[in-house]
Amino acid sequence: MNHLAYLDAGSGSLIVQAVIGGVAGVAVAAKLYWRRLVSRFRRQPTDQS
Amino acid sequence: MAIPHLGRSARPAPLDADLRVEPGSFRDPANRVFHAGDDVLRALDETAAAHWRALAGSAFFPPLLAAGKVCGTEELPAESAPAAWAAVLRHERIPFVSHPYEWSFAMLRDAALLHLEILRAALPAGFTTKDGSAYNLQWRGTEPVFIDVGSFAPLREGEPWAGYRQFCQTLLYPLLLGAHLGLDFQPWLRARVDGIEPDQMGRLFRGVRRLLPGVLTHVHLHGSVTRRNAGTSTADVRAQLRAAGYTRELALATVRGMERLVRRLDHQPAASHWVDYQRTCGYSGDDRAGKERFVTDALTGAGRRRLVLDLGANDGRYSRLAARHAEYVVAVEQDPAVVDRLYRALQGEGERRVLPLVMDLADPSPGGGWRGIERASFAARAGADVVLALALVHHLAIGRNVPLPEVVSCLAGLAAPGGRLVVEFVHPDDPMAGRLLANKPEGIFRDYRRDAFEALLAAHGTVEDRLELPSGTRTLYRVALGG
Repeated sequence: MNHLAYLDAGSGSLIVQAVIGGVAGVAVAAKLYWRRLVSRFRRQPTDQS
Repeated sequence: MAIPHLGRSARPAPLDADLRVEPGSFRDPANRVFHAGDDVLRALDETAAAHWRALAGSAFFPPLLAAGKVCGTEELPAESAPAAWAAVLRHERIPFVSHPYEWSFAMLRDAALLHLEILRAALPAGFTTKDGSAYNLQWRGTEPVFIDVGSFAPLREGEPWAGYRQFCQTLLYPLLLGAHLGLDFQPWLRARVDGIEPDQMGRLFRGVRRLLPGVLTHVHLHGSVTRRNAGTSTADVRAQLRAAGYTRELALATVRGMERLVRRLDHQPAASHWVDYQRTCGYSGDDRAGKERFVTDALTGAGRRRLVLDLGANDGRYSRLAARHAEYVVAVEQDPAVVDRLYRALQGEGERRVLPLVMDLADPSPGGGWRGIERASFAARAGADVVLALALVHHLAIGRNVPLPEVVSCLAGLAAPGGRLVVEFVHPDDPMAGRLLANKPEGIFRDYRRDAFEALLAAHGTVEDRLELPSGTRTLYRVALGG
């Protein structure tokens, strides 16, 4: 059991903390969204095939 | 106030049969708070016990404990743990448990700053807090104390603070309401045990208000990212953030940023007529001297004086006086502006035995949260050895139309068995009572009479002492309740 997770930290509340952590944090958030985007495009051809 | 010595060796560990579960401690299943007499115990499961031992052996925690920033805590021998729990801690007893909606703006801000300071100390040492609630904090007089020792856990690298949302909802947003909009936050927190949602806040900060400090990020961006990620689990988001390179340093930078923001937030609540009440309430110097002597006599006479409630405390004149003779004084006042001033003044004086609280006695804090008992009502917490009700009865009886028997019964009910009530009756012909009566139809308060009041006091106990003040329109009574 993950004892840190008794509370629903909120997905958005976790991500927004990267953005408010300064320039380096914005870069982390940008990377997260970039990876999501890339993974979406990567998945599509596989779905069609 | 010094941190009390917990007396580990002096007192035997309590038996399971004597334990009462604290109704407010069910949310984290890893630990549970129990009461046994005056003892406050925290039972831990195996993981929580391992976390506690790591915490106790860390470099950052003992200094926080020694400075009194975290409530005094010691581990009892394992065999004294309640059944089905791996370990048990004994905590320092907080003299009077209060809720964030009973605090003034400056109190909530100091509590928020302490929470952030503790997190800032924990992060570099590889610890975090599992939550970020305002209910993690309590008071020793005007000194905030972090009480949720069970909240500390080892930090998992690459994860943001799990308590951020709670911190926003129960601490940061109420402060933004006060600092930016001049609103009293207390009703918002009282109405919602989990605080204010980002979406609700967003509606209050439209237009140029978005540009106010902290609003764009902590309110609007927070709300919008939350909406867009509603379908993604926190486990997925945690993994994605870790993979994107989120670090402990970033978490620390966020905490520092929030500390800077909270320090900038200030709100001096608008002065109401209560702020100047002591000066304008029509006491002569002789009246005041007589009243102070009477109250002092009441507090130095027979009986226990562990907890004194000063109801309608205003500028805290009698709370300070009571603090000289009692262990702890809770100064209750309905006006947030007055409480805020009193808090700041007491802090400046270094007075650590008076806890100022915002509460309207005609609308006292009800039980809140789960089943209405998670956050105990004011009446359930009162149990005072001495109840001071000075220049109060006429405000309730005339100002708020509360029948006089109800007023007396309520005041007596706030005392512990065998307690004392020190009460002032302002006669109907007193100028202050006259001012209140002038706002009400003539003749509706026929029972507001001194003889009727005295009969009610006699019905609740024995009048031990009385004093008519030199002005001739106010009488003080000391009543030994019960019997």
